[in-house]
Order: sequence, then C-alpha cells, then structure tokens
Amino acid sequence: MKDKHLGMASYLEVRDTSDVCMTRLRVPVYKQVDGSELFVQKPIADDSKGHELDLFCVPKHYEEDLDSVIIPNGLIKDRTERLARDIVRDMGGHHIVALCVLKGGYKFFADLMDYIKALNQNIDKSVQLTVDFIRLKSYSNDQSTNCVKVIGGDELSALTGKNVLIVEDIIETGKTMETLLKLLTGFHPKMVKVASLLVKRTPRSSGYRPDYIGFEVPDKFLVGYALDYNEYFRDLSHICILSDRAKEKYQV
Amino acid sequence: MRHHGSLGDGGVVGDGRVVVRRVFSMRRAIRDDWPGYALDLFTYPKHYSEDLECVYIPHGVIMDRIERLARNIMDDLGDHDIVVLCVLKGGYQFCADLVERIKVLCCNSSKTLPMRVDFIRLKSYLNDQSTEDLHIVGAENLSALSGKNVLIVEAIVDTGKTMKTLLDHVKAFRPKMIKVASLLVKRVPCGTGYVPDYVGFEIANRFVVGYALDYNEYFRDLHHLCVISDSAKQKYKV
Repeated sequence: MKDKHLGMASYLEVRDTSDVCMTRLRVPVYKQVDGSELFVQKPIADDSKGHELDLFCVPKHYEEDLDSVIIPNGLIKDRTERLARDIVRDMGGHHIVALCVLKGGYKFFADLMDYIKALNQNIDKSVQLTVDFIRLKSYSNDQSTNCVKVIGGDELSALTGKNVLIVEDIIETGKTMETLLKLLTGFHPKMVKVASLLVKRTPRSSGYRPDYIGFEVPDKFLVGYALDYNEYFRDLSHICILSDRAKEKYQV
Repeated sequence: MRHHGSLGDGGVVGDGRVVVRRVFSMRRAIRDDWPGYALDLFTYPKHYSEDLECVYIPHGVIMDRIERLARNIMDDLGDHDIVVLCVLKGGYQFCADLVERIKVLCCNSSKTLPMRVDFIRLKSYLNDQSTEDLHIVGAENLSALSGKNVLIVEAIVDTGKTMKTLLDHVKAFRPKMIKVASLLVKRVPCGTGYVPDYVGFEIANRFVVGYALDYNEYFRDLHHLCVISDSAKQKYKV
C-alpha cells in the first residue's frame, strides 16, 4: 500500500482485496476482557489534516465553519455496511433489540439499521429486529459513584432474554457506557453488545472498547454526521474538524 | 393512482368559488381498492413471510416521493432556520430519510436550510386502533421551540386527533411557525379533517406496517410499506 498524492490529501491505495492486503490495514490488537481479540480498522492518525472542503459537498451555511473533512459520508456508509454484516453474523441467532442512544447516535443508528435490514431481506435465516430509543444522563450520587439514568424507551424488562445492541455515536472516556452496561446486566439480556461509530484516542479513556468500532479518531473537536456543537452541525453529512472561529460563533 | 392538484395560495376555482389563501399539499392518493403488489416481486425478511398480505408502497417509491417532499420543503422554508421535531418511534425512518434529502439539496442548490433535530415520543395506539389518550415523552424539549420555526415530522396521520393534540401542546410554547410533514395520511370516516402541510401518500383505511410503522413493535424492520395479514394481527396481538 502506498500513500499517493494526486492534488488531494494523501490516501491509502489498496492494490488488491486479498486477505494479506486487508490485514495490513489493521493496527495493534487490543485484548478484550474475555480474551478475544479486537482489530481496530481504519484508525485516523493524530496529525491527520483531513481532506479539503472543496473536494466535497457541504451545506452552504457551514462553509466558513469547518477546517476540513476528516471522514467523508461515503466512507462512513461503507464502514457501517461492514459493521452490519459483522453484527448479523454474531447476533443474528436470536431476536435483536437495537437500542439507539439519542441524540448523537440517531444518524449512525438509522444507517446501521438500513444495512442490517438489507441483509435481513436477502438471507435464508433472517433475524427479528425491534428498535428503541433512549437518552442517557450521567451523574454522580452522594457516594461519588458513577450512575447513569436511562430516559425514555420502553421498560428495560423488555430486554430480558434478548440480544441487545446498543448503538452510540462516539465513545470518549467510556465511563457512561460502562455504567450503562452494568445497569443492563440486572435485566438479564441474553447478550449485550455495543456498536460505536467512533472511538476517541484520549488519555481520559477508561480503557473500555466497544464490540464494534467504525473508526478510531484523534482527540480533536469533531462535528457532523449527528455529532453536534451546541446542537449545530447535526445536519452535516461528513465528519469534519471544527474551526476555532466556529467554536466562538456557535458558543452558547 | 389519482393525483390531487395544487391550489396554490388562493384564487378562483372552476365553479366560481373564491378560495381562501391556503396551500393544498399535493399528495399521491392511493385508491381504496388498490390491491398492492405481490410479495414475491420484492425482497423482505423471511421471518415475516406468513405475516404480510401485500407490498402496499415499495421502499424505492417512498424514497422517490421523499426526494420531492424535500424539494417542496426547501422551496417553502429555504433560508430559514428550522427545528425538526421527529415523532418517535414510527417517524424515525421518515425523518432520517427526509433530513438526508434536504441536506443533499443544501449542498447543491442556491438555498440552504439549517436544521436542528429533536425527538419526542407519542404513545396512543393499542394493537391497531388509535386511542384518545396521548402520552408525550420528551416534552421538556419543547421549551426550546419558543420563537423557532418548527417542522414536525410524523409517519402517519390517522384520525388526526393525535396530531391536533400535539399541535396544541407545541403551540403553547409559542414557536414562530409550525409546519407538519407526514409520510402517510389515512382516509378515515371519522377523521377530524386535519391535513398536514406536506403529505407523501394518501392511503385507504388499511392497517399498514413497515418503514418504521409497527404493529405492537413488530414490522419496524421491514423496508416496504405493507398490509399485514389477519393471522398476523392475531399472532402479534398484545
């Protein structure tokens, strides 16, 4: 694989689709708690400057607010398509309840569901899929332990005996998700897995890694594809780096 | 399938009546005796093969219609800031696809439409009947709507009672303007006569599922709009 420059920011050229080539795209293996290995594909380098805005379509009202496109929408879609396949392979044996974490998770959730549904229409052994939407509020109680409150959604008892898939947009410290997972075990689901489009490389991370990861990204201020800055930028298709000027402009 | 014409902002209709200033939304009316398409013409999840009578509106047709609704919304509301209020759970698919089409237009036309998205949940169906009781979840968000242009996005308007109740609720927070986009409007004998500003399809009084519309939480994972079989109504009854 070579880095190529064609008047565009550099990109990874994949010569062929053999397994050998794909393996080289993988980065350091993370060992999960249960001993299984997790390959993180498509890490975005810390010093990645992203692609210039001019190469893509961006809503006019944001043209002055973004520095660059770090993950184009098409790439997100293609990666999501693969995550859908992996999810159906692992969880497709039994009724899946897909739990969307609002508001940030909703775009990734919609696209992921579309791909899972597309697979479901065309395989012999389809899996029943139901959906629900929750909001998470994390807080510390008087003992200073991390607590998470689940707002909205059906009764959590509906998760008993099901394969639960939590769909989130981004994992940063991982603490909220770890707390939610602890809460859910009390309802005895058959299986709980977490799919997050993005995982941030940050020293503040608790070390938690979700089961399915779209991209690993640097600790920069990212917006777009449902990631917001004070409710703005959710209507941007690509994931972009926010300019400093825009941080002032849209400050609350 | 008949098409209803647009009456625009007002004027004189053929028989001499003067029409009050009102925008009549153009919508695709599907006649009562439309039998739908045979299932075998399309793909669908195997676990529903015994549960569906026909495909009522194929997914591709829904997407094409949404493309046009997005353009209509852009023509009317372009260059205004709007808050999109998505009515969960049934509205989530329509909302995601509609917002997506509007975003494409924002990148490629001379107008733009900055959007924020928010979510509320309404509970009013029991099995396949619409009930009077309306339970709004996420209502604390509505205070953020003051002075804003609001576009409510709903999957289906049945009797219209739910939508009227929701509108009264939203109006209490004094938004600048409210518009409603509904993918489907049902022709029902005892409806309130409420018509949303943007309508995808006007359908007969049949219970449709799919494209995020459910029957007791089932069928949301079906991408075409279909009519469920009577056996399925029993099978998945609460």
